[in-house]
Amino acid sequence: MGEIIEFTVNGLKRRIEVEPNELLINVIRGKLGLTGTKYGCGIGECGSCTVLIDGEPALSCLTLAIEVDGREIVTIEGIAENELNHIQEAFLDQGAVQCGFCTPGMIIMAKYLLNKKRNPTEKEIKEHIKGNLCRCTGYINIIKAIKEAAEKMQNSNVKAISKEL
Amino acid sequence: MAKKVFSVIGKRTWRKDGVAKVTGKIKFTHDISLPNMLYGRVLKSPYPHARVRSIDVSEAEKIGAICLTFKETPKVKYNERLVSVPEATYKDRTVLTDKPLYVGEPVAAVAAETEEKAQRALELIKVEYETLEPLMDPEEAMKPGKPLLHESVVVADRVVKVENNVACKLEISEGNIEKGFGEADVVVEREYKTNRRYHLQLETKTVICKPEIDGGVTVWCTTQSIHNTRILLHQIFGIPLSKINVKKAALGGSFGSSIQTNTIVPICVALALKARRPVKLVYSREEDMHDHCCYQVILRLKLGAKRNGLLTAGEMHVIVDIGGHQIQAYPLLGCMAGWWVSLYKIPNLKYKGIAVYTNKVPSCAMRGFGNPQVTWAVETLMDELAEKISMDPLEFKLKNYVGLGDIFWGQGPTVKSVITSCGVEEILRKGAEMVGWNKRGEPREKRGRVRRGIGMARGFHTSGAGGPLAGQTVDYSGATVKVNEDGTIDYLTALMDCGQGDYDTHAKIIAEELGVPLRNINVVLTDTRSTVYDVCTHASRATYVGGAAALKAAREVKGKLLEYASRVLDVNPNALKIKPDEETGQGVIYIEGVPGKSLTIGELASLARHKNWGTFAATVSLRQVKCPPHFTGYFVEVEVDTETGVVKPLRIVAGADIGTVINPGLAEGQMHGGFAMGLSMALHEDTPYNPESGDLTNKGFITDYKVPTAADMVDVEDFKVFFVDTHEPTGPFGAKGIGEGATNPVAAAVVNAIYNAIGVRFYELPITPEKIVKALREKEGK
Repeated sequence: MGEIIEFTVNGLKRRIEVEPNELLINVIRGKLGLTGTKYGCGIGECGSCTVLIDGEPALSCLTLAIEVDGREIVTIEGIAENELNHIQEAFLDQGAVQCGFCTPGMIIMAKYLLNKKRNPTEKEIKEHIKGNLCRCTGYINIIKAIKEAAEKMQNSNVKAISKEL
Repeated sequence: MAKKVFSVIGKRTWRKDGVAKVTGKIKFTHDISLPNMLYGRVLKSPYPHARVRSIDVSEAEKIGAICLTFKETPKVKYNERLVSVPEATYKDRTVLTDKPLYVGEPVAAVAAETEEKAQRALELIKVEYETLEPLMDPEEAMKPGKPLLHESVVVADRVVKVENNVACKLEISEGNIEKGFGEADVVVEREYKTNRRYHLQLETKTVICKPEIDGGVTVWCTTQSIHNTRILLHQIFGIPLSKINVKKAALGGSFGSSIQTNTIVPICVALALKARRPVKLVYSREEDMHDHCCYQVILRLKLGAKRNGLLTAGEMHVIVDIGGHQIQAYPLLGCMAGWWVSLYKIPNLKYKGIAVYTNKVPSCAMRGFGNPQVTWAVETLMDELAEKISMDPLEFKLKNYVGLGDIFWGQGPTVKSVITSCGVEEILRKGAEMVGWNKRGEPREKRGRVRRGIGMARGFHTSGAGGPLAGQTVDYSGATVKVNEDGTIDYLTALMDCGQGDYDTHAKIIAEELGVPLRNINVVLTDTRSTVYDVCTHASRATYVGGAAALKAAREVKGKLLEYASRVLDVNPNALKIKPDEETGQGVIYIEGVPGKSLTIGELASLARHKNWGTFAATVSLRQVKCPPHFTGYFVEVEVDTETGVVKPLRIVAGADIGTVINPGLAEGQMHGGFAMGLSMALHEDTPYNPESGDLTNKGFITDYKVPTAADMVDVEDFKVFFVDTHEPTGPFGAKGIGEGATNPVAAAVVNAIYNAIGVRFYELPITPEKIVKALREKEGK
């Protein structure tokens, strides 16, 4: 027997019927067609399915859909206010994308980190993305990209402030 | 010679599929769904060696599932990898089997409205197995009297009997090894055993098949070769090639695991043909780890050298534990010989390779195709030899390496060519200086709980698999370049990009040749119908071979553009040049030194339409008659905790000769990723088997399959990558490959660094903390 849940995904209110055992990843990818969130292992080891739930990172492959009733979800498709955000641009600048399968989860984690802390150390960056496996890049360019994004965000804030002045 | 100034080659740019990848919009096979689609699941053997006595699908069918067993699938024996010629392709498997040879081998399959229902149906299938003696050790399996996994295999339509579970073998000898070893002052012989690694490409094996009304099929799947997938389906199902269309999707990594058509592709096609509806089949991670792995080898190596530092003789004996089926065991044996003889000049040598069937997951190429295994043994043994003749290993290696003007075995003994570009010496000299090689100290000088060591190893890989003679490897590529009526360019290739950025490399080559802005090149997501043949994205060939095909097509198109422009501008075509023009956003055709006489490619293409001259386009098929090695060298500093046995990398200096660097950011990324993979080959990865159950001890869960995380890598500024200045005369704009050379010597460099830190050598991978602690205790007599 299904149950109706209501939640927000990337700013849009959704009302759907889910089974009690239905996983959030399957609802996001299947019922909502947001395939940017990836299945990589199904047991919470690879981080490819990471989304933000009420601003906190969560593994959608280990989350029951019914748990997100009334909550707010952000997936890779909803990460940028405009076309691309600083993190996405920095990933492209630094060659941090190869096959791209881990990229959505990495960017979600980077977003979470930079929301929390504007100028993270390299160690903090590594700590935040160490649950996200990447088999292509050896992480170096991903770390560079997150550093670049942090710098860009700070600079853009500086500009914004100076505009106000 | 003045250095050529490029407009886009060597420039850092956003990758063309990048925006789609960072926004989650790109479609991998995982992400494709079709209307009216069913979901497939595969029933896999729980036993490593068994015979199916009976199989009953009636209960599964009662809940509405479409069921398929070995009774209904084609009996054609095939080999899923079609890179070699028929004489080197050993066929030993069918779509589904009644005699599973490893835990995880498919025996039946179902399709249903939902994945959950398909799984329920799978659980309703009743199978009665007769278990057979499992052979989990290759040396045991070769003993006379052991049960045969395969009675026979098919090679080029001949039935060949299998003896003692030996899948295939190869022997090569040159010179006189008795004489060679007799001349040596020092001889060292060691036995090495590698780990059985798993690719852990992030996208698990996936396929979607849509049956068409004309009896054909449309297929999307995780693959490194759309054309070979199509040919294999034709071989199995007898459907005409013109009615099979294999379509590209983005590929979530591969590292060799999809050179061959994936096991589940023909299963899904059979399901879809039976259901007469589209079927999607996605392997879970556990299923994927039961589907493929890297070649595990036992390698005995003996090398002899004179005190003056010259090698005199070498002998290598390799036993490859291939698992239940051969995917490319015979070509592997040839390639491993080739990697060995192409590292150092050995005047007298003998090689023997044997591939053995065992009841394990079938192994296939994994980034280097035997090269990381061979290079680990050779590069660590060279260090031992150097120490014995009191020579710096770096000098010893420089004295013996195979370089400029020497013969290179790019793909085993049948694919040989002369080396025409080589930066080995510069890589080693510069790397040594950057890392502080001469200050690394001796192991006996190191004290304390945590000890540091620096190790070095060099290596190479081929760039493609072409040669002057036809050889046993199929290697050619194709390209179509066409100019649209507004001056933008459509580029069509069958070559797959597994993530490394091949499409960007090709786009830059075309933009450079045609003189158009890079953004005007559109890389079309193609299929087998719209493209000419490309063999496969393997052997680090995408730049050197695929890029050369793109260049040839662009050159033909350029010739046509200049021919027609010369009429419009009323000059000789040889006087015309093309360059990208920012103002018009176009390639502009102009006459050097004559201002005012020019037109854009868009204007010309548009004129060509109005005047009915036709489209400026070219389709080419190209074979390279060489496969030049790209060279790499890694200097690695590690820290070994002698109490815990934990090894931590501290500093990496990585040099490479890849000819002209087309995409610097992505090329550096290959070196970073290649290091990570080699590091965990040395320290972490393995898929051991439970001898009782014959299953993987980790059951396929990556919880117990450790690969490096971001926290295991060195800091960004401690990873230095440099490219030496070389030019490959036969490469597109002087370029060679990089992908596999980027990983081949890494494990050896890490192992040499561990030796430099603690004075202990290890001959079995992975070198776990337990092994290190045990060895140190033994060394200290505890």
